[in-house]
Amino acid sequence: MNNWERFLNIDRRWIYLLIAIVVIVPFFIRMGLPVVPTQEVRSVYDLVDSLGPDDAIFIGWDFDPGTEAENQPMGVAVLRHAFARHVPVFVTAYWPLAQGLAEMGLASVFDTRVPGNFVYVPWAEWESVRAAGYAGRDSLESAWEAAGNSLPEGARGWVFEGVDLANLGYLPYFSLVILGMGTSIANQYPTDAYGNNLHDMPILQAHKNLREVDLAVTLAGSTACMSWVVYGTSRVGLPVAFGVTAVMATDYFPYIQSGQIVGMMGGLRGAAEYEVLETEGGYTETTGKAYRGMDVQSLAHILIILLVILGNIAYFAGGFHKKTAMKNRR
Amino acid sequence: MKRNVPLMIAMLGGLIMMIQYFIPHQASQDVFDYYTEWAPLVGSFALILGVGSITRVHVHKIRAKAPNWPFSLAVLIPLYLIPLFAFFLPASIGGGTENPSLFDFMYSRVQIPIQATMFSMLAFYIASAAFRAFRAKSALATVLLVTAVIVMLAQVPIGDLLGRWLPDTGLWILRFPNLAAKRAIELGVGFGMLATCLKIIFGVERGWLGGAGE
Repeated sequence: MNNWERFLNIDRRWIYLLIAIVVIVPFFIRMGLPVVPTQEVRSVYDLVDSLGPDDAIFIGWDFDPGTEAENQPMGVAVLRHAFARHVPVFVTAYWPLAQGLAEMGLASVFDTRVPGNFVYVPWAEWESVRAAGYAGRDSLESAWEAAGNSLPEGARGWVFEGVDLANLGYLPYFSLVILGMGTSIANQYPTDAYGNNLHDMPILQAHKNLREVDLAVTLAGSTACMSWVVYGTSRVGLPVAFGVTAVMATDYFPYIQSGQIVGMMGGLRGAAEYEVLETEGGYTETTGKAYRGMDVQSLAHILIILLVILGNIAYFAGGFHKKTAMKNRR
Repeated sequence: MKRNVPLMIAMLGGLIMMIQYFIPHQASQDVFDYYTEWAPLVGSFALILGVGSITRVHVHKIRAKAPNWPFSLAVLIPLYLIPLFAFFLPASIGGGTENPSLFDFMYSRVQIPIQATMFSMLAFYIASAAFRAFRAKSALATVLLVTAVIVMLAQVPIGDLLGRWLPDTGLWILRFPNLAAKRAIELGVGFGMLATCLKIIFGVERGWLGGAGE
């Protein structure tokens, strides 16, 4: 066995060790490499940015924990953006496990220990203000603050459940649920994920079905995202944007070109691009987890490319290509 | 009877939903609404069937001490234990679905890390496999290799540092050659699905019957 052959047959654990090093080191040494947003992500951002309190969006947590690292930062970024613009948000889950992930995403946006976050006001908590009569979001906020509530230092704003947010949760056979929401959201979800009656919520009174919704952002690690296009876009004309894993992103370029989807966040890079746009737009002070993760991805990609190049050098220098050619001729 | 009744139900259901789509009338919309309301309910009953079926298969494996039978215990114990934690255990001793609870602990501290770990391990396998198998053995393999390197570099910020042409070329590959190939595949798949659906509706394809009535 010559040196080239020995190199090609290197114990795979050395490769695993190298990957582990390039994954761990960037967490301690930040590189802060620049991320340039692509048109695919900018389209999603621009659409959310054009919406306001009279509009509404759906954010579908359509992934399971396997792809959390890629999909969760997308959800958190879009949530922050929507809440900052007071765009009402419906949160749904395609899988049973996704509901917990959606709640984790919401919790990270409502963690008031982090500056720039939002203060969550549950439906039951503002009942007394509601009893006096609900007359729009601005008057609600004034009444809530007049009742002695004030934003903690560093918090960006209030999120009133039932006005700014409805966490609908998981329902089985979600494709059919999307189909049904085209006619009535409340028929599919009589209560939200916490058992509150949706019929009473101002968000539902203003947006009764998917025809009255301006965008659905589906975050998926599988073909679940296609249900929104098949049953939402084609049936009721719902604009849909994708947030998918990097390996899936290549599959959905035809849908952008045909106009069936508004845009797409592809993998962690897509989430990082959205975070950059949010920071540039003044919605966040700093970028988030996805942007930090780009250092890791950069080094891991460089390492894999180096391994491929070295593998090929060893393959040709060791003369293995001649053996393969001879074998093929035989 | 065992075969014809399910075939007729499938045919009627398929035809009604297909025709309904093209009739812009309230009666047609009512049929559609009715269907979308009860279909998830029917689906929920299928869950009972699924749990029963998986229990039967694994109990049989455990009884027969089939190879790897302890893994069947790993399936059955959480299958029954987690609903027990969620619905039957009193909240005073960690029951319920709220945080903190045993159910929440199993979900956020066991299931999420397990699934995330499984997916994360792909990075290690891909690196090892790329080193061993990604060779420029032929002209086509070389094209594949060069394309992969460009797209990989285009996906990360370090590609921007190497030159703006790199991410631009990566995006061009995704937006044009990739798009064309994917569209061709999607169209093929779409026509295939249409043909399969028609075969199921008209009873030509009967694999979904699970061999009933044969």
